[in-house]
Amino acid sequence: MVAAIVTAAALPPPPSLPLSAVAKRQRGDAAVVRRMPETLHPDLWLGHQLGRTGAQTLASGFARLDAELPDGGWPRGALSELLLAHPGVGEMRLLAPALVATQRDGRLVMLFDPPAALAAAALAVLGFAVDELLVVETRARLAPGSDGLWALEQALKSGHVGAIVAWLPQRLRAERLRRLQLAAHRHDGVAFILREAAAAARPTAAPLRVALHAGGADRVQLRVLKRRGPPLETPLELELPSVLSATARRRSASGKHRRLPAATFVDVA
Amino acid sequence: MLWVALHLPLLSLESFAATLAGRAAEHGIALVDEHCIAAADAAAIAQGVKPGLKRATALALAPRIVLGQADPARDAEAMRSIVHAALAFTPSVSLQPATEPGRAADTVLLEVQSCLRYFGGSERLLERVRASIEPIGHSLRIASAATAQGAAILAHLEPTPLCTTLEATRRALVAAPVWLLGPGRAHWEALQGMGLRRVGDLLGLPRAGLARRFGETLLAELDAAFGRRADPREPIVPARAFESRLELFARADSSEQVLHGASILLARLVAWLAAQHAFVQRFRLLMHHETRWQQGDRTPQATALEIALAEPSRDSAHLLVLLRERLAHVQLPAPTLELALQASDIVKRAAPNGELFPTRQSEDEGLVRLIERLQARLGAGGVQRLCAAEDHRPERASALRSDAVARPSRASRNAAADATAALPSALPCARPIWLQLPEPLAERDARPLLEGRALALLSGPERIESGWWDDDLAERDYFIAEASDGALVWIYRARLPLSSSGENGWFLHGRFG
Repeated sequence: MVAAIVTAAALPPPPSLPLSAVAKRQRGDAAVVRRMPETLHPDLWLGHQLGRTGAQTLASGFARLDAELPDGGWPRGALSELLLAHPGVGEMRLLAPALVATQRDGRLVMLFDPPAALAAAALAVLGFAVDELLVVETRARLAPGSDGLWALEQALKSGHVGAIVAWLPQRLRAERLRRLQLAAHRHDGVAFILREAAAAARPTAAPLRVALHAGGADRVQLRVLKRRGPPLETPLELELPSVLSATARRRSASGKHRRLPAATFVDVA
Repeated sequence: MLWVALHLPLLSLESFAATLAGRAAEHGIALVDEHCIAAADAAAIAQGVKPGLKRATALALAPRIVLGQADPARDAEAMRSIVHAALAFTPSVSLQPATEPGRAADTVLLEVQSCLRYFGGSERLLERVRASIEPIGHSLRIASAATAQGAAILAHLEPTPLCTTLEATRRALVAAPVWLLGPGRAHWEALQGMGLRRVGDLLGLPRAGLARRFGETLLAELDAAFGRRADPREPIVPARAFESRLELFARADSSEQVLHGASILLARLVAWLAAQHAFVQRFRLLMHHETRWQQGDRTPQATALEIALAEPSRDSAHLLVLLRERLAHVQLPAPTLELALQASDIVKRAAPNGELFPTRQSEDEGLVRLIERLQARLGAGGVQRLCAAEDHRPERASALRSDAVARPSRASRNAAADATAALPSALPCARPIWLQLPEPLAERDARPLLEGRALALLSGPERIESGWWDDDLAERDYFIAEASDGALVWIYRARLPLSSSGENGWFLHGRFG
């Protein structure tokens, strides 16, 4: 459509048209041309813009995070890479809204190689249907010479799983991640891969890469290292569902920590 | 009545080829019976081998040919699965007895008049019959006629005629060569000497004379073919349990070779299931090993591989994938000589609907298959479901269970109304998501340290004292503490006074993920 407009502008104006009308038309065309990059093709955008591919996304449940993610949510059918130094910085509470929404939609959530045992009570409080969470352990029973990521790749390729959260082994080679990203094209839903923080130094095939840090009690700090658009300069701090009571939170914020409560115990024996 | 005859011209060659693995058959195969070549495939015939040659002559002509022993039992086994495949279409299926003694029957007869309308006409029906027999791996000639005997005779012609009326059947039979009649083959030379080449030539002759010279059976067969004599056939009923054996031509050392034979057995299993209109729940592959006559040899006679399915299936591709994954884990103690596939645990139910667009049902089915595939490779414990348990001790409050994982219960689907429900801003019970084995923490000035930095206690103590009844008493005071990087951890110390557990100091038990 745009190509047709450009050719029309390049042609000499028909003689019957008054000059002013021609000038107006050219101005209009110029406006179309300026609007072009992102309207031309979904994979085109200007460097300062956030990508708007029209791809389907799943709302993260945090309005401030959605505003920073291309298309306003976690991408579906692509990997989202989360980098964290150690488990327990609030990653599950961050992902919970998206995963719970997937479960409420009647679809399956699979966890691959979680780093520790999961507490059912804590997940139930977050809204998970706990007995519908499938945990896949691939590393314990790995036959020698077989591919540890085989199971993850199969799950991505099948296209029937609603959401996948996978803890990947350390120092994963780039081409294996690339294979996972290709498999994720056939996945219908969100897919999170969690990796060590040191992976930030190496390139990734995933279109979205977020580094997570604990930002104090019940807060998580996000730095969007890679997205369709400019990298996010200032870290984003999100308030997570709180496990602390109001007083404990105040205590944490004030920085004045209570002395060891063990002193309150009296050995009566 | 409309009869369809399925004739397998290369039955014995193909059933022998099924026992060969890989590319063994590429230089031609031939079957030997009593030191003479009984049948040869196209590659062997191209090298000059033809039926009737001595075994030594054939080997001199084509030294790389694979010679196998003709085995009517093996052919009958293969024929049985053709019968099963046919039984999926009509209940009245019978075998046309072999014309020569010592050979297996190679023609199956189906009465299809009653099911033509259901399958949408004879053309569609034959198309489906062809498609269902194709995975078993036999070349097929299909003829139809108004009489059973007529169809069996016409199936030997090239090209095979498809007659629907008695008139057309009679016309086609008149032009057929006379040796196609069973007894005609024995009297072939006499008939030829009398100038009787076509079946039609016999029709004009006096019946009494024919019967005297060539026997009553020739006349009986002729009458049955032309529909002048009743020709009742006993329908075959499939066995209640499936068992099929395949004796391998060469010893199979690798699981890949075993898999080739197993895929043929699986195709037969699927044909049997189709005949029963059933789906298999579990099946068993037996691999019989070579016996070693050594003292103290403890090699078992056979290795059994039991495969249970979460969702009954009769998709041979899916069954083969499961078998491949399981076989990859099995260490065969000795080379395999013979395979046997057994199945008796079947479920009868309606066939699934075909679907154009993905639906909930097809997604569930795909999920079950994915989980089965993962379990086949990772073991049954590889895929587990999280369950909550009623216990105050955190390490016992949740468990992973590997049973019934492949059947997602989807209870929450009904609760989809509040799909947009937001997360609670505060959680009523402070439990960490990640639980680990209690890790002793160092202590400085009576304050716990994590990775060399002091932990700040934010909340607590929460006392958990439980389990005196099962010798796993927990007496702990839990605190939520903030690590130096801001992450929250869950730590405990043994209940101070009167703690009977004997553990001392601080322990890291969980992290708030």
